[in-house]
Amino acid sequence: MHLVVQAIILGLLTGGVYALMASGLTLAFGVMRVINVAQGAMIVAGAYVSYTLFTDFHIDPFVSIVLMAPAAFAVGVLLQLVFLRPLRSDEREELSLLVTWAIALGIEGVLSVMYTTTYRATLPGYVNDSLTVAGYRIAVVRLVAFGISGVILLLLYLVLHRTRLGRSIRATVQNPTAARLLGVDAERVSAYGFGLSVATATAAGAVFGMVEPFNPGSHYDLISRLLTIVVLGGLGSLTGAVLAALVMGVSEAVLAATISPTWSSLVFFVILIGVLVVRPQGLMGATERGRL
Amino acid sequence: MRTVTVPGLARGLGFTALFAAFPFVFTESWVVNIGIFTVMYAALATAWNVLGGFSGYLSLGNAAFFGMGAYGEAILFQHISIGSGYRPFWVLPLIGLGVAVAVLPVAWVAVRTRAATFAIVTISMLFIAQQLAFNLHSLTNGAQGLVMPLPPFPNTTFERPFYLAMVAVLALSVLLSWYVASGRLGLMLFAIRDDEDRARGLGVHTTYAKLFAVAISAGLTAMAGGVWAYYIGFIYPQFAVDPLVTIGAVLMAFLGGRGTIWGPTLGALILVPAQQYLAFSEGASELYLVAYAAIFLGVMLLMPRGILPSIADLVAARRSSNGAHRADGPRAEMPEAVT
Amino acid sequence: MVACRFPDERGVVVRVASHKVSLAMAAVALAVTAACGGASGGSSSGSTKPLVIGISLSFSGDFSDPGHAAELGYKLWADQVNKQGGVLGRKVQLKIVDDASSPNQVVTNYQTLISRDKVDLVFGPFSTLLTAPAARVAARYGYAFPEPSGGGPLVFQEKLGNVFFVQPAPVVNCGDPFVSYILSLPPSERPTTAAYPELDDPFAEPIAERARLKFEAAGIKTVFKEVYPPEMSDLTPVVEKMAAAKPDMVFAGTQSDDAYSMVNAMVQLGFSPKFLFQANGANSPVEFPSKVGAKNTEGIFSCGDWFPNSKAPGNQAFIKAYIAKYGGTAADIDSGSAEAYAVGEVVSEVAKKTGKIDNATIIKTLHSGTWPTVEGNLSWDKYGAPNGSTMLTEWIGGKLLPVYPAAVALHPPVIPKPPWGG
Repeated sequence: MHLVVQAIILGLLTGGVYALMASGLTLAFGVMRVINVAQGAMIVAGAYVSYTLFTDFHIDPFVSIVLMAPAAFAVGVLLQLVFLRPLRSDEREELSLLVTWAIALGIEGVLSVMYTTTYRATLPGYVNDSLTVAGYRIAVVRLVAFGISGVILLLLYLVLHRTRLGRSIRATVQNPTAARLLGVDAERVSAYGFGLSVATATAAGAVFGMVEPFNPGSHYDLISRLLTIVVLGGLGSLTGAVLAALVMGVSEAVLAATISPTWSSLVFFVILIGVLVVRPQGLMGATERGRL
Repeated sequence: MRTVTVPGLARGLGFTALFAAFPFVFTESWVVNIGIFTVMYAALATAWNVLGGFSGYLSLGNAAFFGMGAYGEAILFQHISIGSGYRPFWVLPLIGLGVAVAVLPVAWVAVRTRAATFAIVTISMLFIAQQLAFNLHSLTNGAQGLVMPLPPFPNTTFERPFYLAMVAVLALSVLLSWYVASGRLGLMLFAIRDDEDRARGLGVHTTYAKLFAVAISAGLTAMAGGVWAYYIGFIYPQFAVDPLVTIGAVLMAFLGGRGTIWGPTLGALILVPAQQYLAFSEGASELYLVAYAAIFLGVMLLMPRGILPSIADLVAARRSSNGAHRADGPRAEMPEAVT
Repeated sequence: MVACRFPDERGVVVRVASHKVSLAMAAVALAVTAACGGASGGSSSGSTKPLVIGISLSFSGDFSDPGHAAELGYKLWADQVNKQGGVLGRKVQLKIVDDASSPNQVVTNYQTLISRDKVDLVFGPFSTLLTAPAARVAARYGYAFPEPSGGGPLVFQEKLGNVFFVQPAPVVNCGDPFVSYILSLPPSERPTTAAYPELDDPFAEPIAERARLKFEAAGIKTVFKEVYPPEMSDLTPVVEKMAAAKPDMVFAGTQSDDAYSMVNAMVQLGFSPKFLFQANGANSPVEFPSKVGAKNTEGIFSCGDWFPNSKAPGNQAFIKAYIAKYGGTAADIDSGSAEAYAVGEVVSEVAKKTGKIDNATIIKTLHSGTWPTVEGNLSWDKYGAPNGSTMLTEWIGGKLLPVYPAAVALHPPVIPKPPWGG
């Protein structure tokens, strides 16, 4: 029992980080119906930047997030303008998948050249410390990662619900035509929305780099999990993504602890298939565009 | 309804003959070796096209079928000892059928979702397949991999049987492609591509159409995987089920023209040698990936419909003398026009 | 979701090798020595023709770091040999191409090197995964295949007579010295219970399984055994379960990253067994302490085929030459470079002993006798498996030292393992 509870704790902590990583992905889909397969690669890129800032300049990962955010936002806007906007809107969903996959390959290539395939990890001083709460060990690093993820998700929520940009984004997600009629510039919103999603990706990357070793090829593993989470939660639903991430994190950890680690990663997909059989639109998605 | 035109037949037989004659003209081992991979990708791209190009449902999990075919071959040898020599080739149709049937239950779950979700689900299927390959030790030997028997072919023409086997798979793929496209199934798939809701409203059995397409696509891909397994001789999970195989096939279909019969083959004929040139000049560095990505992006943005349809458009535009009627969104064009 | 064992899979899409002409030495005017007149040389006409050796290495993809290490070793050997007039008077010219860690590409590469470029000899690539298919290609053409790193069972199961794995022992035997050492201890000092965490990998798992069977036969009870997948970067759940079973000894079938992760998890959980052996990872002289903390390495055992302090023949000269050519210190030298160097050594020695350097001669000659290299004195059975054994290494005082068998030990083994942090 102890093992199971310990696993649940670990699963929640991991799930929080996944939630942050998945949030950008579902946001991009909701706003622009773009499946950003490069999200994983952007996360890894964020991890590398944060790693470099930490190892060479001794900048704390949290600070690096703040530093990276504006640049990442700009990059996101640029990517959207150059690669995604030219796609015809009726084909955008499918083609965006391939275009962003190509972008992911490109990012991986550049990272491989710059950093080689050696695994890296951002190892802050407290990497081996752990707290003991009620008999359960909690690695400090994971707690910090969870905390940062939570903060950023909260910020994202605030942006979406308390700023004009956020409202425009949500309007576009719910009903693009109506939004346009009300004066929302859909193109600009799409660009900013994508910028926001890339910014969250790099933030997630900084966090990710602290808890897991990574190399340029890590994005495959990541994106497969994130896509599953986002589909499970319902494409376009932020709450769904967070929920799904937590569910996945806990399931995987509990299975690894109780049955076997080799089969535990399959749980992601088994749950996905199971849900899709019953509800093809995912947990929180709707058959039409949904709400964020 | 299905018309076999003389030009069409001539084209089909002609190309097949050309492909088959290749290793007898260019006999050097390393050239035939490259030919094997080129033809393999042509077959993979053509097989992918049956679902992806005709119906618009982008499957990104084809590598799973490839791996299933590869493992199918190896397992038949390990566990049932079919013997070696040419037998691995004779069992290919069996493997193709087997995989086509085996994927149906999972495919059924997948095709009930809509396009975007479908693509993601196929990616998940790919990972599941790889995971299973790693974990089902008793069947696949897990990370240790499986070994195929040593082929007994004479050294000077060693590659030839494999090459010809790949050509056979390609010919079958193209034949099935044409058969589907020119028949009712093709009509249903094209209708789905244009507007699925409408098609359904008109009474098209969309689920069965898609399932059929998946089965065909899977069977053909598996056969290519079977030949590959015998050629390389060693099957490891991470190489047999590899997303880059899918990406390559998809890219080639896009480049050549998805929705056409010979487009994917054209894409393979261009890209595989082009990759060689890139590897040659860019050499040993990951900049290769960047170049690959750049080509991909270029195709997506500049020639989204692919080469064959774009050429057909040009030709058509020139024919209509005062350019009155641009072929706008001609998504419903029939493949015969551009074969 | 082993996507990124995916990364191995770079280049399933075909590429043909790129040609990296390496040695400037090779361009140097052919020095004709008296030996030239006598030696009938290798494959073709002219005893002063360069000896071209084709090699496929991984410069991109998963195996790129070890690929680079092997390149350094091969080039150093070619350098050294050419300084002394080449092999049988022929200057060595290495033709190294990139296989991007892909089996499809490695097959294409050796095909091209042999049938198009008609190289005289070939040396092996990195990793069993690539060596296995490549060896078959070489066998078809009758080429000898001495290789530095394909030591997994699959390579020897192929039953090819042209393969020579240039290391002291097949990879799966790497735990044997540790097993011998433990079983040599008086029963009161031996561990009574053991745990076997194993990476699902063609090498790591067999190493642990082989040891487990031997330990069980000797009466050491197995209280934990679990196989974990390569993409599991956080081993906390596995280590937790293992710690709960309270084993005296942990014999871990690891590669590098999981070894680091395992130690980190053990430190975090405060679990320190009396005996800890890791098949790989812990034998990385620079990486290991940097990843787990230098103070945590004390007392950890691992296996080793080569490292700077080894007393193998010619090792000190090799290290000196390496530092002269590439700089750095002995501690920076990756064992992959030594392995590659040894491949070259073996070939030079065949030439010296027989006066010939064609593939048939190499194949025939290497199957008997013992051959001195920086990896030790090597000999092979008829399918290329080496007949020797590796050595047991241990971290003592911040240094990785051979401790067993006594003949090669630089320090007696230290047991039990002290607690973490010193």
